[in-house]
Amino acid sequence: MQLALNEDQRQVLDFVEALARPFASAPLHDAGLALESEELDAALVENGFLDVMTVEELGPVTAALVVEKLARLPFAVEAAASALVRPLIDPELPRPLCLVEEGRTSALLRFLRPGATVVVVGPSGVRSFTASEELIAPAQEDTLYAYPVAFLTGLPEATIAHDVDPVEITRAWRVAMAAEAAGLLGAALTSVVTYVSERKQFGRPLATFQAMRHRLAEAQVVTNTVYWLAMRAAASGDYADAAMALLHAQEAAKRVCYDYHQFLGGMGMTLEHPLHLWTYRLKLLTAELGGRGAQGLAAAEALWG
Amino acid sequence: MQFEWTEEQDAFRRRIRDFLQANLPGDWEKFSEHGPASPALTAFARTFCVKLAEVGLLFPHWTQEMGGEGLGPWEQQILSEEMWIAGEPRGGQYMNVNWIGPTLEKYGTPEQKARYLEPITRGESLWCQGFSEPDAGSDLASLRTRAVLKDGNYVINGQKIWTSYAGLADTCFLLTRTSDDRKKGITIVLVPMDTPGITVRQIPSLIGEGDIHEVFFDDVNVPETARFGEEGQAWEIVAYSLRNERLGIPRFTLARAALDRAVMMLKQRGDFTREYVRIEAARCAALCEAAGTANYAVVQKRVDGLAIGAESSSARYATVMAERAVCEFVVEFLPEALAGASPYLKMHHQRGIVAGVAAGSAEIQLNIIASDVLELPREPR
Ligand SMILES: Cc1cc2nc3c(=O)[nH]c(=O)nc-3n(C[C@H](O)[C@H](O)[C@H](O)COP(=O)(O)OP(=O)(O)OC[C@H]3O[C@@H](n4cnc5c(N)ncnc54)[C@H](O)[C@@H]3O)c2cc1C
Repeated sequence: MQLALNEDQRQVLDFVEALARPFASAPLHDAGLALESEELDAALVENGFLDVMTVEELGPVTAALVVEKLARLPFAVEAAASALVRPLIDPELPRPLCLVEEGRTSALLRFLRPGATVVVVGPSGVRSFTASEELIAPAQEDTLYAYPVAFLTGLPEATIAHDVDPVEITRAWRVAMAAEAAGLLGAALTSVVTYVSERKQFGRPLATFQAMRHRLAEAQVVTNTVYWLAMRAAASGDYADAAMALLHAQEAAKRVCYDYHQFLGGMGMTLEHPLHLWTYRLKLLTAELGGRGAQGLAAAEALWG
Repeated sequence: MQFEWTEEQDAFRRRIRDFLQANLPGDWEKFSEHGPASPALTAFARTFCVKLAEVGLLFPHWTQEMGGEGLGPWEQQILSEEMWIAGEPRGGQYMNVNWIGPTLEKYGTPEQKARYLEPITRGESLWCQGFSEPDAGSDLASLRTRAVLKDGNYVINGQKIWTSYAGLADTCFLLTRTSDDRKKGITIVLVPMDTPGITVRQIPSLIGEGDIHEVFFDDVNVPETARFGEEGQAWEIVAYSLRNERLGIPRFTLARAALDRAVMMLKQRGDFTREYVRIEAARCAALCEAAGTANYAVVQKRVDGLAIGAESSSARYATVMAERAVCEFVVEFLPEALAGASPYLKMHHQRGIVAGVAAGSAEIQLNIIASDVLELPREPR
């Protein structure tokens, strides 16, 4: 048991932090909710931050730490699947990576665009293909998510079969989403804490009212434990740990998103305040891999058969 | 960052399990239904702890100067986990080894150490913690039990409440008021429970026989040498002690074990096929594991010699969430467990519902998190 960051991990996170600094605040945006930055994406790739899992002394926990950290940015970056799942399938797969469950290929896909690699995971195995223009139907322009999203119109004739265990890939997928959710939850909480500490009504900061303090404190407790369960699941490689980590993350996301906007009052309904950049990613993550119920069933199966 | 126990730690855990296996009676599970402070369990603990002391498992985490093995916080955690899962066969003596001993060592006079540490290390003494009063619960600093120094003696008058183990304890770690200065007017006095003027009354409760008491002090006389630390030093000393206490009870382990037991029972009768039951069970498991990791993060800070602050409140609250979820799960899906079908689950329920009240309530933990973790501006007073 050693829960402090080691020297390597601290260094990697410091590098990520420095690289991400120019992207730490959200530019004002009024069309669409998703913020992306090609520049940021390129910098991450160039510096190898999405490949840390394969570096022996770094491994999956460091990859999860990087994913958590990047999710705190207002910009949506396809890091989770690339950093925590791709190395298990084929480290050379072109990014972004869109993971989709077999039988649910009509689902809304995050980061789907021409050139993206779509990975279909299911009982019959793990297969991938490169998404071409004809296979993609855009989602509505003012889609209410802070991820870029689109639909697949169908599957291509030819796909590449990967000789990997779909159960293992699903496990890593859960870890990736839990780590991403941990960062989103952390950033959303910080953003709300800042607002309610400054905003005054009745002559005092909103954050001095206990109705708010207690709900925010509970949010801190679950946010903190989402982080720890995600890191532990990354470390252990255990199927039950991964399912519990994502279950807990999806529970947490469901619990806090509504409150957070509520606490900002009218400002919480605007695009001016960046809160939605985290919460409207979290909202979509609550649906990932079948949502809380599916994670619960997977965890129960792994724990008790 | 890594989440595995070392081989030595695994071996240490096995050593404890083997000991428990060999030294708990066959009907232990039924027996442990008696509350941790019941006469039956207290009497049992008096022989059990002596045996623990003999094999070096009573206080292996204490420093070598104190007679321990100097094993450190992780081993203390493992020891506490195994004992708590087993229904805490040490009874109230867990307090001795978790915080009373170390606090005596740090703040006691040579005479106090000589008098009190030795029986603790033999596994033969029982303490109680006289903090709460009828009008001083969450607002502990408003306590009013008076200690007045007169002719070299403290004369104590007042009342304590909720005092665990008071019925059978040898000594009370008592908070008294020696001046009107709120926190700085509180002083610790170590009071032998057989001192004339002390009356103990048991409070019938939902959590097991003999667990909580009222303690009345009527002109109780103890020599000045019974004072622990300086006058007015209590708040500082208690802050130190409670930091150890908060980590002392790894409730999440018993909650998790109770959950596993409940699932086993549901499976046996073919009721663990319904999806919503399985999902609910998984949710409980995740909350137990969540509490576990939050607690471990605090232990890590102790290992690293860092000051432990409000994150222990966050871990405590995570534990309350887990305890609550498991208690509710059992009642909803195995109601008969609390009516005789499972002594273990009944025992868990009685201990689990206490998580959000004893040793500082859940709401107080949220207040601390809000102020000291989130650093929200303070509430107006
Ligand atoms: C099983 C058990 C064993 C115990 N053992 C001991 C012992 O050995 N020695 C000892 O000294 N004490 C002991 N206690 C007492 C325990 O520490 C107190 O019960 C606890 O501190 C709460 O105090 P109270 O009961 O007076 O509740 P109160 O302080 O009256 O609180 C009642 C409710 O109000 C809430 N509340 C209080 N203040 C605030 C606030 N500022 N903001 C929001 N909500 C608030 C509380 O959270 C709680 O929900 C024990 C209690 C139990 C249940």
